Amino acid sequence: MLGLGASRAAEQAYRLRKPRQGINLAQYFGGYRLTQGVARNAAMRHDPTMGEQAQDWTRRAALGLLPTLGLAACAGTRGAEPLKFWAMSYEGDYSPMLMPAFTAATGIAVDVQSLPATASHEKLLTAQAGGAMPDVLMLYNGWVQEFATIGAIAPIPSPALVADMFPGVLDATRVQGRDFAVPWSVAPQVQFYRRDILAKAGYAAPAEDWDGWLRMGHAIKRQRPDDFVFMLLLNWPDTLITMLGQTGATMLRDHDTRGNFQTTEAKAAFAYYARIFAEGLAPKALSTEIQDPVAAFAQGYFAIWPTGPTTLLDLHRRAAEIPAERWGTARLAGPHGLGAVSGLSTSLCVSASTPRPAEAWALVRHLSSPASELRYQRLIGNLPARLSAWSSPQLRAPILAPFKEQMRLPAAAPKVIEWERIKLEIQFAAERVVRGVQTIPEALAGLDTRVDQLLAKRRALVGAGTLA
Amino acid sequence: MTRQERAAWLFSAPVLAIIALVFVLPTALAMALSVTDYSIYALADWANLRFVGLGNFIDLFSTPLFWRALANTAVFAVLGVPMAIGTSLAVALLLNDATVRWKPLWRVLLFAPYVTSIVATAVVWRFLFNERSGLINRALATVGAAPVDWLGNPHTSIPAILIFVTWKIFGYNMIVFTAALSAVPQDLMEAARLDGAGRWGRFRHVTLPAIGPTLLLAAVMSVAGFLQIFAEPYVMTLGGPAQSTTTILYFMFDEGFKWWNLGQASAVAFVLFLMILALTMVQTRIGKRYEWL
Repeated sequence: MLGLGASRAAEQAYRLRKPRQGINLAQYFGGYRLTQGVARNAAMRHDPTMGEQAQDWTRRAALGLLPTLGLAACAGTRGAEPLKFWAMSYEGDYSPMLMPAFTAATGIAVDVQSLPATASHEKLLTAQAGGAMPDVLMLYNGWVQEFATIGAIAPIPSPALVADMFPGVLDATRVQGRDFAVPWSVAPQVQFYRRDILAKAGYAAPAEDWDGWLRMGHAIKRQRPDDFVFMLLLNWPDTLITMLGQTGATMLRDHDTRGNFQTTEAKAAFAYYARIFAEGLAPKALSTEIQDPVAAFAQGYFAIWPTGPTTLLDLHRRAAEIPAERWGTARLAGPHGLGAVSGLSTSLCVSASTPRPAEAWALVRHLSSPASELRYQRLIGNLPARLSAWSSPQLRAPILAPFKEQMRLPAAAPKVIEWERIKLEIQFAAERVVRGVQTIPEALAGLDTRVDQLLAKRRALVGAGTLA
Repeated sequence: MTRQERAAWLFSAPVLAIIALVFVLPTALAMALSVTDYSIYALADWANLRFVGLGNFIDLFSTPLFWRALANTAVFAVLGVPMAIGTSLAVALLLNDATVRWKPLWRVLLFAPYVTSIVATAVVWRFLFNERSGLINRALATVGAAPVDWLGNPHTSIPAILIFVTWKIFGYNMIVFTAALSAVPQDLMEAARLDGAGRWGRFRHVTLPAIGPTLLLAAVMSVAGFLQIFAEPYVMTLGGPAQSTTTILYFMFDEGFKWWNLGQASAVAFVLFLMILALTMVQTRIGKRYEWL
């Protein structure tokens, strides 16, 4: 209680002085006389009876001084504001570990904010609308077009920053011929599979084409009728988007201003996706229901999990539950064999409104350097976007080979700023089919109508010639 | 203006100014937004902003998901209000009984869910609702019932969330009802008993009229609350499965803050405002008829 009271008192004291903040804070709190005054003030506010005996030091007054000293210490080190860096998911959680090297080399402190992946899109948009963007931010590659269009991110100052990138990666982040982002990691989906479960069903590695995938699925299901085979979350669109790409569906038409889902290709992809669920090979579940997918994978609830490289971190961290020899990675199956796959690759961008662009780009340079990328690979499994990093022996582990091959074949996404939303609408349509609410033709017709509605503004702007 | 009137204006001016600033102005701005096509394109360049009149509303009424969300919200309110108020009243009546001991303790325990973090409790309830390992299905299994995929089935997702919501919020109205019940005149109660009124008769003719105004207040607040239900589906199901728990506010949040279609979202807000206003007026009328107001 006392501690709380004292710190509150100090806070009040700090507030009291705040209007005079025009003077340098460090200088202000540094002076002994003033500090004493603040502390006494603090103590007095805390206990009004102190008024008469204000000259005498009591334990309370001394305690009141403690947080003030803490404040003074903080103020002392506050030379320059730290650079603000926002990143999502594991990238955000582990970024602070890359910062000491940067701060040591440049003297610039960095304040890292980790955003939850599911809420990051709206947080970033709100930040842009409210003028509260960080200096440096991570974006998923699919968002770069959107944030460049709304003027939130700055074009890269020098082509040298993206000189040494994995081929094909830059295409995803280029907006009208200009680079707005420095690719950070490449994250194609691969299938993580349970070696032991597949071996029991007579498979050394997962099948590479769709028919084979289903056959393998049924072979596993016969062995383990109470469990499932595939893990395709009904609110996680990337696997379905990959399937659509692999059947050759062009999802938008008329200069990307209308939906184009009532095609044989889209039907084929939807039919295959729905079949996996209809035949009982995948649980009809949202991410909110599979609260701990790693545990479910370890327990054999499913044997095949199409997901990205950060799952490597999850699996390494929980090796006690699922030893490394029990799982492996392989490229995703396609309709007639292996093909292009979409993923959640990430880039680093600098806010267009940062007052310190030079320092911000220095941070981007540091984070995307081969050394940092390799360190990140060890920490969270992310695969470097820089080609030169790939000569490191660290990346020759057999478990990474499927990623490396898949990285050369990224699936291209339509470059419209509504794409993120359209992806979710596609997934909603597929969910309705899987749950038997709609048939495939109904769902695809509904999807076309919905996407046309979402693209109405874009259509108008393209029609007026405002938008290319 | 007399001196007194001047003083009155002077004293109420700060409050009026604040109300104008934080309530009237934003509401007016939201209404203005609802007749524009403010979207992410306008965020990019103000030149992309157009006046669309009632276009947003026409668009809205032709969006199936809007009707879906409206229907879901109606189900939430129609089932949820009686469920929540009924539970609150039943528990308050139980606690009000003279034979119950340790009343303060019970009150604290039953009120606790109301003040706990919704996200933390939602995580726990998601485990309870789990189809395979959840305690609720295990309990059902002991009486021989088949397991229910509570949060994964579009037909059971709303009831599942309502069970969670009721557990979470009934404590608040329970406290309000407890206060109202303590004001029920005991002499009337005894007179009714002497006249031979049974338990139900005493509740219907003595207790109910006495707590009528409180009941009306609770109903008005609960209807407004359930029409604006958002956090529970957001943390429990993300609006799924198959958008069966997407409520009107969830729809508005997605449009406005996730995709930045603030024009469209303001139109939704306006529709929601009219709905709550209309329902509250009906409730007030009912209250007046029974002389509760």
